[in-house]
Amino acid sequence: MSQSNREQLRRNQAAQAKQKRLNRIIGVGAVVLVVVLIGVFIAVLFQNQAHTSTTSSATPPNATGSKDGIVVNPGKFTAGAPVVELFFDYQCPVCKQFEGIYGASLKSLAASGAIELRYRNMTFLDNNLNNDASLRAGIGAACSDFAGQYSAYHEQIFANQPAKEGDGYTDDMLRVTIPATVGITGADLTSFQSCYDQQTTKAFVSGTNEAASKGGVNATPTFHVNGKDLSLQTIAGVKPEGLGDLIKQNA
Amino acid sequence: MSCAEPGGVTAEPSYTDPVSDTSAISLHRRPWQEWATLAARLILGVTVLVAGLLKVTRLDASVQSVRLYQILPWDVAGFVGTALPILEVVVGLLLITGTFTRLAAIVGSALMVAFIIGIASVWARGISIDCGCFGGGGAIEASLTQYPLEILRDTGLLLTGAWTVWRPRAPFAVDNWLFAPLDPTASEPEPIAEDDKESTR
Repeated sequence: MSQSNREQLRRNQAAQAKQKRLNRIIGVGAVVLVVVLIGVFIAVLFQNQAHTSTTSSATPPNATGSKDGIVVNPGKFTAGAPVVELFFDYQCPVCKQFEGIYGASLKSLAASGAIELRYRNMTFLDNNLNNDASLRAGIGAACSDFAGQYSAYHEQIFANQPAKEGDGYTDDMLRVTIPATVGITGADLTSFQSCYDQQTTKAFVSGTNEAASKGGVNATPTFHVNGKDLSLQTIAGVKPEGLGDLIKQNA
Repeated sequence: MSCAEPGGVTAEPSYTDPVSDTSAISLHRRPWQEWATLAARLILGVTVLVAGLLKVTRLDASVQSVRLYQILPWDVAGFVGTALPILEVVVGLLLITGTFTRLAAIVGSALMVAFIIGIASVWARGISIDCGCFGGGGAIEASLTQYPLEILRDTGLLLTGAWTVWRPRAPFAVDNWLFAPLDPTASEPEPIAEDDKESTR
């Protein structure tokens, strides 16, 4: 009998010890889970904050219908003209080179109405270079569209690209120097600077980057004719004055 | 003789069954495999933790890196790019502290398999990117890609992970406390010794 009681007691103790051990394992597991959830929560919070810090937002007047870029020559192109889309990042050195070689040619094609020219701004180099210069340059460019100076402003950004990739654009360059160069003055300058300072076009620029990324464009410069990729190698095969014919052939 | 013993219930998953007299085994008597596991655990854990920490503060860049592989749909890549650094930090910490070691090593090994597949895939498709393994990333010149080296590194890490899954028991692990055997002082010859032999194969 006492043998049986001792046995019973031992069983109880063993069961208790086992329960205690199980509780310990579950407890530590739960702590790990809670810490993970808090970490995820903080990460999501930070990300949302980074994405929604603007107070006012506006879309440039010449934005494309789907807000994925800005039309450089609104109302000038003839109906049915090939749609040329240039994807670029303002911190991309090759984009500056491209602009230097083919920029003037593209603009004259746009001005003559032979093509509909759309600039689709990307900002992913901010992530690679760990700064926000692509985004700020994009915001400035989009703000300049309200003053009707988008194309000139765009050109000046590339003309003033820092020699060393990653140095980025200063605010002074984007809100004072370039507007002065392209002739944004007076009331236009005041509203331009207010637009830049309040990052009014930030959501739009983030949207153009996202739209390009969703469309599968992840390197710049990228050149599309009627939605089809025209490789840089192909373009490099023609002189700037031959660009119009090349576009026609690929339209 | 022991099948009716209450102690029989202490039979645990093989890695949680330190011989009942673990405390009596002095360090120099630990099998070398346990030290190998400690090394494997720390190599994988520290690497994964550092990789996670470098990315976790810049999740946008992490998402972008994942998208450059052009494997996952756009939205899924967004989720993976956000979750991956957090997962890496957690798995790294678990491995370093030796907490739920086998589970953490399984996840760590699975990550390495995924990375190797991802890198091999971009290599095969002729896409030129930095793997973005430790932050950074981005499209780069074809001549600057380091796919063989990156795959070799991840294969090495996969081996440390696989070893840890196989032999998760090691010194300096929270698991040694967490999964400590029941009441070692009261123990009689137990079948766990059998299990241990089994686990060491």
